[in-house]
Order: sequence, then structure tokens, then C-alpha cells
Amino acid sequence: MLFYVARRLLTAFITILVVVILAGVLIHVVPGDPITAMLAQSGSADADDIARLTAQYGLDQPVWKQALLYAGNALQGDLGTTIRGGEPVAELLLDRLPNTIALAVAGLGTALVLGIPMGFIAAVNRGRAADFAVMLIAILGVSIPGFWMGLTFIQVFSLHLGWFPVAGTSARNIVLPALTLGVVHSALVARMTRSALVDILNEDYIRTARARGLREHQVLLVHAMRPAMISVVTVVGLVFAHLLGGQVITENVFSWNGIGRLAIQAMLQRDYPLVQGFIVIFATSIVLVTTALDLLYGLLDPRVRRR
Amino acid sequence: MTKASNTLFALLTGATALTALPAMAATLTVARGVDADGLDPQQVSTTQSSQITNLMFDTLVTLDASGEAHPGLAESWEISDDNLSYAFTIREGLTCHDGSAFTPEDVVFTFDRARDPETKNPRLAQYGPIESVTTEGNVVTVTMTEPYGPLMSYLGSFSIPMMCQGSVTADGGFEPVGTGPFKLVEWSRNDHITLAANDAYQNFNPLIENPGRPYVDELKLVVIPEAVARMAALRSGEVDLAEPSLEEAALLDSDPAFKVYSADLSGQQVLTAFTWKIPPLDNPDVRRAIGMGLDRDSYAMIAYEGLVSPTTCPAAPGLIGVDLEKCAEWGVSYDPDAARAILEGLGYTQDSPLEVKLSVHALPGFDQMHQMMQQNLAEIGVQAELETREVAAFFDHMSQENMRTEGTPVVWTMGYSGVDSDYMTTMWKTPGFVNMGLGGEMDAMLDEQRTLTGDARVEKLQEIQKILLEEGYAVPLVSPGWNWLWASSDKIDGFKTGFVASILFNDVKIAE
Amino acid sequence: MTDTTTNHRPRRLPAALRQWNIAVGALILGIVVLAAILAPWIAPYDPFKMASGPRLTGPSAAHWFGTDELGRDLFSRVLLGARLSLGIGFAAVAVGLLFGVTFGMIIAFCPERVKALLLRIVDVVYSFPDTLLALALVAFMGPGVENATIAIAISLIPFYARVTYGLAAVERAKPYVEAAQIAQAAPARIMRIQVLPNILQSLIVIGSIGFSSAILSAAGLSFLGLGVQPPSPEWGSILASGRNYISRAPWILIFPGLAICLTVLSFNLIGDGIRDLTDPKSRRRRS
Repeated sequence: MLFYVARRLLTAFITILVVVILAGVLIHVVPGDPITAMLAQSGSADADDIARLTAQYGLDQPVWKQALLYAGNALQGDLGTTIRGGEPVAELLLDRLPNTIALAVAGLGTALVLGIPMGFIAAVNRGRAADFAVMLIAILGVSIPGFWMGLTFIQVFSLHLGWFPVAGTSARNIVLPALTLGVVHSALVARMTRSALVDILNEDYIRTARARGLREHQVLLVHAMRPAMISVVTVVGLVFAHLLGGQVITENVFSWNGIGRLAIQAMLQRDYPLVQGFIVIFATSIVLVTTALDLLYGLLDPRVRRR
Repeated sequence: MTKASNTLFALLTGATALTALPAMAATLTVARGVDADGLDPQQVSTTQSSQITNLMFDTLVTLDASGEAHPGLAESWEISDDNLSYAFTIREGLTCHDGSAFTPEDVVFTFDRARDPETKNPRLAQYGPIESVTTEGNVVTVTMTEPYGPLMSYLGSFSIPMMCQGSVTADGGFEPVGTGPFKLVEWSRNDHITLAANDAYQNFNPLIENPGRPYVDELKLVVIPEAVARMAALRSGEVDLAEPSLEEAALLDSDPAFKVYSADLSGQQVLTAFTWKIPPLDNPDVRRAIGMGLDRDSYAMIAYEGLVSPTTCPAAPGLIGVDLEKCAEWGVSYDPDAARAILEGLGYTQDSPLEVKLSVHALPGFDQMHQMMQQNLAEIGVQAELETREVAAFFDHMSQENMRTEGTPVVWTMGYSGVDSDYMTTMWKTPGFVNMGLGGEMDAMLDEQRTLTGDARVEKLQEIQKILLEEGYAVPLVSPGWNWLWASSDKIDGFKTGFVASILFNDVKIAE
Repeated sequence: MTDTTTNHRPRRLPAALRQWNIAVGALILGIVVLAAILAPWIAPYDPFKMASGPRLTGPSAAHWFGTDELGRDLFSRVLLGARLSLGIGFAAVAVGLLFGVTFGMIIAFCPERVKALLLRIVDVVYSFPDTLLALALVAFMGPGVENATIAIAISLIPFYARVTYGLAAVERAKPYVEAAQIAQAAPARIMRIQVLPNILQSLIVIGSIGFSSAILSAAGLSFLGLGVQPPSPEWGSILASGRNYISRAPWILIFPGLAICLTVLSFNLIGDGIRDLTDPKSRRRRS
């Protein structure tokens, strides 16, 4: 078991390292240059200034050297400072990571609250109009562009009804973006719930339970829903990982102070250290989440360990 | 991390993360689309950044509406006859945000730090050819290696603000410590900046009436990137003042519950330029014909909802040496028939059009204006493919396009702003802004105007504009044209805009 | 939930009913495709022609979807937009599938240690939201139809690679592949001749899922100003340039938005239907 954990952690570490180096190389290979862009915005882009600042930011070094230097520093926890404003990258991102996680958790919660009942209704009405209607609504939710839904929510719930603030990062502000994300991701949850329940309802022990004269709601909620939830839990990790990064546009529409919004700005301004830092922090979170899930499965199911 | 996990906890448990404000404190909330890049006035490059630093740092001199220099942190000054030496007498009794007195040493510190390569100052060029900055008693003397006409304008703008020595902390870090009307409370990048009124503030800016501390106690500038959300926040009363979308500004303008402000002193305008090294755009006739095809009156009326005016000069109206009537004579006006005739003479017709790229950057109103330009060009036998980029990527792209001498020619547009017509030097002197410099005689003329003052300088500046227009290097379109609009609820009184789209809150009062 | 009956009979469900979602999806998609093909002939106006008359007029008999900020007929623009949106989706899925399937296969046939690492990397890249990945690529390559399509295709590759790997790994463990390996057939040949045909059906399903995400990504990119450039009437770009008229002229947002929804819905319904039909066990597999 110890060996299994060690091997998993080693793989996780190597993965992060490879991603960091790849990110470092790729970002310098693509055309474009942050100094020219920055100077142009200050209205004083002359060649001397460009050369001077390029050297001062170390951007005149060979790509491989920059990438290795970066990886070395990153491993020691130093993600550098932003080109615009010279702020420490790690601090900027870590300050916002909790906001992004909070929104992902809220979005996931909403997806479960919406998706599980929909899947339940569909499963117990399998093949009937209610099944199709519910699943159609679920799929419709995933078919609406998130930004379009977000703008509509702002217009309706914030402007016309005045229920929620438009912008900001607080407990009251989280409702609309969480709803937007929840609607989009509820389809997957509904689908998982439905198919797991349909399978279980055909199992012998459910028939036995019914034959024993148990009430239908007891059969459904106690005997069927519980095991079905285990299958649903398996998609939770997946949905969560997607929510962590999938909320970029939603963060932008609702002015949510997360790492995705910072990343968009950094990409548009070509602030390399910030973009790289985002990739590192994001990749690390994902690798940690998936590794933790793997270890958890290994704990629950000894067969996995041997593989 | 502790602070961060507290936030997370607060969010997850549903507790409000908003800190309660002290009772009765007047807070003005302002929504912008883009945040400052930094708060160090010697490191930032964007207008949005300087709008913020300008609230915390004052300038040596101030400018009135006509651009004339008035006393600021310097109560008086003397310029030597050879225009090489500027002696500023620094006012006494001024206090920095950290409580220390503002002294001539702070002025020297500011200039020294600005010129130190370690500072990585992107605006160094605007400081001019400084030889030395020395102090004696209350007088700071700035000595130039050669005359530099625009110095006073730049000293009065947010390009060269005065810092206090407390701005550099013991460990070499930066903290915004100035003498400006507001001091920093908190900055969360890309989210909000909170500033508090500076109780010790003394105002010298002739554009501002309030002689002392700003009337509002707290100024909160929030970032709402999506314009639809920003407008919803303004309409719902969540924010008091916001950068409006162009589309809604026209609506708000006619609504008595709102006020719309235009930055008339911004020195901003939009113009069309050409990759003039690439044939056939190397031919002035072709460039002028394209200019004749552009219906700038319609752009102002339709794309900009009538909130801007068409303009004719390569530098913005109101700046030194800018005479719209003279420019109208030198430049082209909308005449599609004449344009078509010229291009047909050169072999470009509807069936075999001149193919160009129309390269622009993303700005409010630009989408509509450029689609109209595209249609205008199609009518005179020019087929333009529209390419839009984000601002940073666009300038980067144009730096490369302007170096090319062959391939598909590019017609491009940009917004430019400044406090002095000298910005034409930055643009047109080789290598120039994004490599658009013209070289040759033009470089010499641009250098020369810097060394002149008064009428001689005006004359030289006009000579330069005449060439730019007659040779068709520039086709001015509208002014102001970008980043210049504000809207507030009618409860807000006294909001003003200054030079280069600076924003002034000293006179703002909030009605109950 | 109290009215649920105990005697539902899943066995009796006719195949046609189970394909109900396919039927609806195909119907919607058919209409969209038809509109895309016939757009130049059935559009009542020139979609690029700016009117000198009133702008921002609401839906009427003359202009079914109203007119936009430059007085162009919105119905004609949405019709023509179908071509662009479907075209981008199709191209991106084709390119994404080609590379994704290749990578997925190769990973499945890699030695154990290399495989674990490659899979992890694919997982990390896959967990990058497709919109963000496409956004980064376009931000660096510059906007435009081609670059947006390439970016979306690239963002689809990890997804396709991951799913292909899952399918191919199952096939690889089957006796017939082992037999071929013992017979020392070249891995490339095994992949092409034996594995590919067996997983083709499943690939078609995930192809349709990719389609819907490609169309949404394209709209999202245009919305951020990085996708299709105006005046091309791609749906996302109509939304992008019209979004500030949400109070003055909501129809500019409603109709292109509905077009996106319905098209994406049709692909999702078809994908769901095929999945129900062909691979009842797929739901047990974690992707």
C-alpha cells in the first residue's frame, strides 16, 4: 500500500514538472512579445526602450534557458513577478484560488441539487413523457451558451427583480454564477442518476424488496437511491475538476474575483509569468484532486492497487 | 493563506464577506472595465493605470483648460533663456500620505528613480533629455542637454507625477505614497481598489474648485469587465459612476435620472494610418483616395451615437498647434465619386478591387465603425478584410506589419491621446509608434519643434501636420473616440475629467 | 413521487421510443443544415447590406427577426450564420478526431510506465477547460475563422485522446489483439485493422459530443472578440457585437442565442440517443 501511494505521488510530481517545462517552452515559442505590447500602450514604443526593457526582464535569453530557470524557481515556490505591475505571481493566484474553489463547490452543489431530482424523476418514469421532458430540460441546460445565460440572469434577477447584486465576490454574489454553472453541469448529473437508478431498479433485490411489501418510496429512496448515489459520486470529481477551470467566462461575466478572470487578462496582455503561474497552479490543483481521488479508490477497492 | 481560507470559509458558510463601513462615511463606488496594471506611476503604461496613480500623486505644475501651466507642487518656476534649465520653487507645508513633509529632496528622488534603469520606466522618453536634477534650498533645478518644448505639458500631466521618498520601503518594495487627494487603503488586482480621502490635501489644480480634502470619504473603484453587467450595476444603483457602453450612453444621455460625461480635455482621437511601405499604399494618391472614401460624419453619428465629433487634424483638437480649419484644407473630405475615379485610373474597380486588410483593435464603437468603413471602401473599389485584435496583441501585430515592404497592404486605425501635440513625435519619428515612423525630413522637423517655443513651435507643428495630411499618411476620423465616456446617476454632482482622460473626484458630492 | 407505479415495463419500450431523442435531434439538425445550405437563396435580404433607414427595429413582417445596429436584416444574418457555425464545428471535430484518435491509440499501445505518465499529462490538459485552452491559443495566434477553428480542434484533442484510449485499452486486452501481438503484427497495423473498426461506433458518438462543445466554444470565442470577425454573421459574433443592446433591442441577442441553443441541443440529443442505443454499459465507465 505504501509503495502504491509513493508511486502515485511520484507520478503526480513528474506530471507537474513536465507540464511546467512544457508551458515554459510553449509560451515563448508562440509569436508575440509582452514588452512591445506594454510600451505601445504607454505610447512610447521606440526601439531603444524595447531592447532595454526586454533585457531587463530577461526575455532576451534563449528559450530553453528561460524555461529551465523558470522550472527551477517554480520548484522552490518562486513563480516570479508579473511584467505588468511587478507583483508576486504566487500570491496573486493563491489569493484568488479560494474564490475559484468556492464558486466550483457552489456550482457543483447546484448541479447536484438540480440534477439528482431530475435523474430520479426520469428514472422512475422511464419511457414515459415525464422521462423525456425532464431529460430534454437537462440537455437544454447544457446546450445554452454560459455567457448568454449569465447575461440574461443579470438582466432579469439583478436589474429587473433586484434580488442579487450584479458584480463582486461575496456570499450574495455567488448565487447567479453558481446557478449558471449548476444548470450547465446538471445534465451530466441527471444522466448519471437516471442510468444508475434504472440499472438498480432492475436488480433482483429491488424486486425482492417490493415483493416483501415494502412501500414504494422506501424501496426507491432507501434501497435504490443509496447505491445509485455511489455511481453519482464517481462523476463528482470529474465535474468538480471541470468546474475549477470551466468557469472562466462565468467569472468574467459576473466579475467574480477568481483565477480564471486573472488568467484571461494575463493572456491578453501576454504577461508570461502570470500565464505560466496560472498553468502551474491550475495543473497542480488538478493533479492533486485526481491523485487524491485515485488514492481514495485504491483505499476503497484493493483491486485497483495492483494495476 | 490564512486570509484566503477565511474568505473561503466565509463564502461557504454564507457569511457576508463585505466588511461593514463606518456609519455616515460617504463612499463613491466607480465601475471600470479594466483595472490598473500597477500602482507605481513610474512603472505603469496604460491610461487605466494612470487614472488611478493620478488620484494618489500630484504634479509639479498644473494645467488649465487651455493647456497653460499653473503652479502645482511648485509655487513658481523660471526657465533660462536658452531653454535648457528649469528652476522650480517647491511649495512649503505640503504633507505626504505617510505624514512626512514633502520636500525638494522628494522631487529629486522622483526624477532619479524615474531615470534609474532598475525602475523599468516605460514612460522615460517623455521625461526628455535630462542632464541633471539638483536642489538648493527650496529650488529644484532640472537641466536638459537640449531644449525640450513639451516638458511643462508633461510635468502637468499624469506622465510625470511626484512621489514621496516613503514610496520605497526599507526592503526596497513599493508603496504608493504621494501628496494626492486620495491615499491607498487596499488593492485587489483585477477586482477593486479602495482609496480614502487625504485629510491634509491642498489643491492647486485650476480644473478643481474644492481647495482642500475631497468631499467623499472613500472611493471604491471596482472592475466589472462585462459592459452589460457594468450598466446593470449602474442602473440598479450598485455603483454610482461607470464607464458606460457606447450603446447605452446614448440612452442614458436622454434619461434625466442619469448624467453622461465626455472627456473633452482628453486630447484623444481616432485616426486611420497605412502600411505606407507596401505598394500600392506607397502612392500618396491611393492613400488620399482611401481617405476620401471614409464617411467620418456617419461614423460619429451612427457608430458613436452622435457622442463624438468628426475631426480633421493628426493631433487632437485643443492641443497646441491644432487648427481644424487649416487641417480641413490640407486633408481630404468624404467624396466617394472622386475616390472611385482616382482608383479606377489606377486600375482598381469593383470587379478587380484593391485588396487590403483593415486591422483594428477591440474598443467600444470600433466594431460598428469598421464595418461601416468596410462598406465605404467596397463602394470605391477597395476590398477590405477586417481583423480585430485585443489591444496588446494588436500593437504587437502592427509593429511587425509596419516593417513589411511587400504583401497585402494594411489600412489600420488607432486611438491616441496626449497632453501635447508632441505626441506626433512619438508616433511619426523613426522608428516611431509601432514602427510607423516616416524618417527623413519628417524626423528632423519633429526634432526641431521640440526645441522651439511659442509661435515658432506652433508654426512648425502645423507644417508637420500639413505634410501628414497632404501626403495622406494620416486620415483623422473622430475625437475623442475611445476611453472617454462616463455615466453616473443624477445623485452625483461635481465629477470631472481632466487631461488624457484623467478622472477627478475632488469636487464630487453625493446627494441623499 | 408518490404516484410512481411499480409495474413499469422497460422491456416493452420500443426501440423507436428510446430513439425519441435521436428523432427530435435529427429533425432540428435537419432544419439547421437545410437553412445553412439554402441560406443564399432563401435569405430575404443581403445579410451584409447596411440600411440607410431605421436601425434596431423590432421583429416585423418585413424583418422577421428585426434589424441590427447597422440596419441589417437579422433573419438573413442568422440564416447565413448557420453555415459558419456548422462549418467551424465540422472542421474542428474532424481535425480533433484525427489527432485525438491517433494519440489515444498510441498511448494504449505504449509500455506501462510511459503510458501512466502520458495519461496523466493528457488528464491535466483535458482538465483545462476547452474554452480557456482555445482562448489561450487564439490570444497568441491572433483571431479569425481559421485560427479559432484550429484552436477549438486542438482543445478537443485531449478529450478524444482520453476516450479513444479508454476504448482501445479495452480492445487491447481482448484475446484477438493478444493473438495478433503474439503473431508479431506491427502495432500500427493492429491499431488500424483490428482496433479501429471495433471502436468506430463509439467514436461516432463522442464525435457528436465534440460537435456541440465546438459550436459553444466558437460562440464563446467570438463573444470574447477572438473568434470570427465582423461583419461575418457567425452566431457568437452577432451576440458579441449586439450584446450591449440588451436593453434597447433584445432581439439581437434572442434569435442568434436560440439558434445556438437549438443546434447544440440537436447534437446533444443525438449523442445521448446513440449512447443509449449502442453502449448501455458506457455509463459504468469513468471517462
